[in-house]
Amino acid sequence: MMDTILLLALNGLIWGLIIALIALGLSIIFGLLDIINVAHGDFFMVGTVLTWYVLQETGLFWPAFILVPVIGFVLGALIQRSIIQPIRNAAALSIVATFGLSLILQELVRMIFGATPRRILPPIQGTIPIFGIEYEIYRILAAALSVAALIAFFLFLQYTKIGTWMRAVRHDRETAIAMGIPAQRIFILTFGIGFALAAFGGVVAAPITTVDFRGGVDLLPFCFMAVIIGGLGNLPGTAAAAILLALLEGVIQSFADPTVARISSLVLMSAVLMLRPQGLFRGLAK
Amino acid sequence: MSAILRTENLTKKFGGLIAVDNFTLSLESGRLHAIIGPNGAGKTTFFNLVSGILPLTSGKVFFGGREITGLKPHEISRLGIKRTLQIKSVFPQMTVAENLWVTRQASQGFLHPFRAATRDTQTRERVDQTLEQIGMTALADRTAGTLSYGDVALLEIGMALISEPKLLLLDEPTCGMSPAETERAVAKIKELARSIDIIIIEHDMEVVFGIASDIIVMTQGAILARGTPQEISNDERVREAYLGRPEDEDYVEEAAHA
Amino acid sequence: MIRTFVERFLLVAFAAFLVSVPWVVPVIANKFWVSVIAEILIWSIFAASVNLLFGYVGLLSFGQALFFGFGMYGVGIGIDQLHLSFWSAFAFGVSAAMAMALITGIFAVRLTWHYFAIITIVFSLIFYFLAVRLKPLTGGDDGINFSLPPVFSFGATRYSLTDQTFQYFFILAIFAICFYLMYLVTRSPLGRAFLAIRENDLRASLIGLNVYVLRLIAFVMAGFLAGVSGALFAFFGRYASATYMFYHVSGDGVVWAIVGGAGTLFGPVVGTTLFIFIRELVSTHWEHHSLIVGVMAILVVMLAPKGLVGLWREGLSRIGEQKTSSELNAKARLRSQP
Repeated sequence: MMDTILLLALNGLIWGLIIALIALGLSIIFGLLDIINVAHGDFFMVGTVLTWYVLQETGLFWPAFILVPVIGFVLGALIQRSIIQPIRNAAALSIVATFGLSLILQELVRMIFGATPRRILPPIQGTIPIFGIEYEIYRILAAALSVAALIAFFLFLQYTKIGTWMRAVRHDRETAIAMGIPAQRIFILTFGIGFALAAFGGVVAAPITTVDFRGGVDLLPFCFMAVIIGGLGNLPGTAAAAILLALLEGVIQSFADPTVARISSLVLMSAVLMLRPQGLFRGLAK
Repeated sequence: MSAILRTENLTKKFGGLIAVDNFTLSLESGRLHAIIGPNGAGKTTFFNLVSGILPLTSGKVFFGGREITGLKPHEISRLGIKRTLQIKSVFPQMTVAENLWVTRQASQGFLHPFRAATRDTQTRERVDQTLEQIGMTALADRTAGTLSYGDVALLEIGMALISEPKLLLLDEPTCGMSPAETERAVAKIKELARSIDIIIIEHDMEVVFGIASDIIVMTQGAILARGTPQEISNDERVREAYLGRPEDEDYVEEAAHA
Repeated sequence: MIRTFVERFLLVAFAAFLVSVPWVVPVIANKFWVSVIAEILIWSIFAASVNLLFGYVGLLSFGQALFFGFGMYGVGIGIDQLHLSFWSAFAFGVSAAMAMALITGIFAVRLTWHYFAIITIVFSLIFYFLAVRLKPLTGGDDGINFSLPPVFSFGATRYSLTDQTFQYFFILAIFAICFYLMYLVTRSPLGRAFLAIRENDLRASLIGLNVYVLRLIAFVMAGFLAGVSGALFAFFGRYASATYMFYHVSGDGVVWAIVGGAGTLFGPVVGTTLFIFIRELVSTHWEHHSLIVGVMAILVVMLAPKGLVGLWREGLSRIGEQKTSSELNAKARLRSQP
């Protein structure tokens, strides 16, 4: 029994790290562009599908870690420029546009990739003993890569010029524009980075989930939960919430079925929305 | 003369910032009161507290002897305190007549869900009457969002009129108006003041000294001076408070609105 | 002027067409399209519930499928497990949807803007997962099939929905009642108060409107419409399933309402008709009709944010008064700057 809890908790933790990557993109897009991106789960899904194609074409898994986020970035930038930018004046309707985008992405993948879910084998096989259980090596690698990407993202925000600009635009758009920050380019970059992060999450997750055109649908509510519970605009809070939520669901899953686990986190999320719309962690991190 | 509006130790803090500081004030009925003061003095915050838009930190508000502390905006509005906002705001996609109509109807308790609004002849007559009063009969069917700035301000006054307020709070009613529009608005406010108690926040000193009979000067959330226009214009502290202050945006109060 | 005239004419023509459907459509097309039109009528009521909230009160709900699902399951469970009669099952479904709208609305309408959209998704997801989980009661994703109560009486005469033509007229009658009610509401004092809240909620509260209670009323009314459509759909398909509570169904409703034209009475009918027609026409040849839905949703938001009905009205007023076109453009420019 302890073993099962530990295993599911570890699995939950790793999913939490992956979801943190996706949720951070969702959060910066919301924070900077004031857009609820209902298609964000599908960005992740596109990442898993692209990974499958990379593996198919090159026979190698590793290039996907570079190629897929880059393709994701370009796609994100293109989408921002062609769809999101023109509707910036109809902010209330942006959710309709991203819903349309979500349908398009899913349907395109279904058309090209097919409707049958496929599996990808982890590039490293085998298990190692950890805390007394045999655990897959790839999952540990997945955790490490996710953590590395999270750190890289925060360093990027903190220490690069573009990162500083992004924070400035999120903080106060008008002033930032008045100070000469090229907001339009920042918006494109933000969307690109959001897509790239989700796509990277897709690469990491591809061998531990199935590659399916509906793969993003289940994930999306979870990402929203992380963003809301962590606090809109609070990026470290979002990452922390993603990890905690997934860990919690993992633990709950060890004695109840996954649906119950999902319902509990949704209820938690509604409570947070009602009682602390600024998120659980306000004050802990800026 | 009885007090139409009275506050006791009214205080509002935003985090560490004290926007309205221990404000005790009694405004008697029958005079036109003006609140002036440099930007960030807490004038609009004071209005927001009285009209229930912002919750107050401590203190009490009385309206005609009745305590209204902590009531919701619509409850305060129904008691007869109406206000305008600093940034002119009407219902932009409704027509002028509909703006007046809905304002009139809002003060009545029951909103009929199925009977056609146009069949309410009483309200209709009142709307026509008000349109005439503010001289906008010709514009009755214009969408409010397409009106000129001066006309929007006039419509706001019409909306205040039609709801038959006991107390009217006007937040910079002439802000952004042309001289001709200002003149028209001032005349209207003077006329209104004969039948309604009015408290006005105004930046334009000429306007204030032309219409108010009681002036309250605020700085940093507290009362600096109070008196007739003559007393105020001779007050040394007031002059000091106004010198060297740049006329830029009201950051604190703007933030409080958002 | 032109607009009122043309639209009145179209409305009469539309009504005449709807009444003649069971006889005309099998002749010009085939019988299958009668049931497609019946389905359009049902989903139009659903889109109208999104429209009531978004178009008239300014709240974008992405959770109307929840109330659709309650209407649907109210009928399904009412007939299958509680052995209710036709009308009782109908009433049971609609009341369940309205009760649910009241309960969730108490919480949801405290929020606005994006937060409202998110909380409505969350609430509907909670109940979607519950429905999936409570398989013995709901049948989960597979749903429950039930047979109609064989006969229902309307006064002394007895009818059955198994009669295609009668079923169509039953749905048409409910459709007409719903839209007539909605028409009354939009012209009423209550409807104008809704509009005031949509336009400027702070100002609305300052003129004495209880914004919270009015939003809640609208939310329950929208729950009624969604519940009616769900109940009808259950009768229509003799079927209830958790899949109809998923947020994609809500999203469809939002797209139909907005593409058709939010804030207009018949906008949702136009949008629903368009999309279901495309689906039925295309899906037999090409299974990727969702692609069209997605592309159209984006195009409408980009090019005609007021929807097809909005576009049509703008066109009519252009013809009506050519001279004001420059003024209109100026207005549009003003409006597009927040």
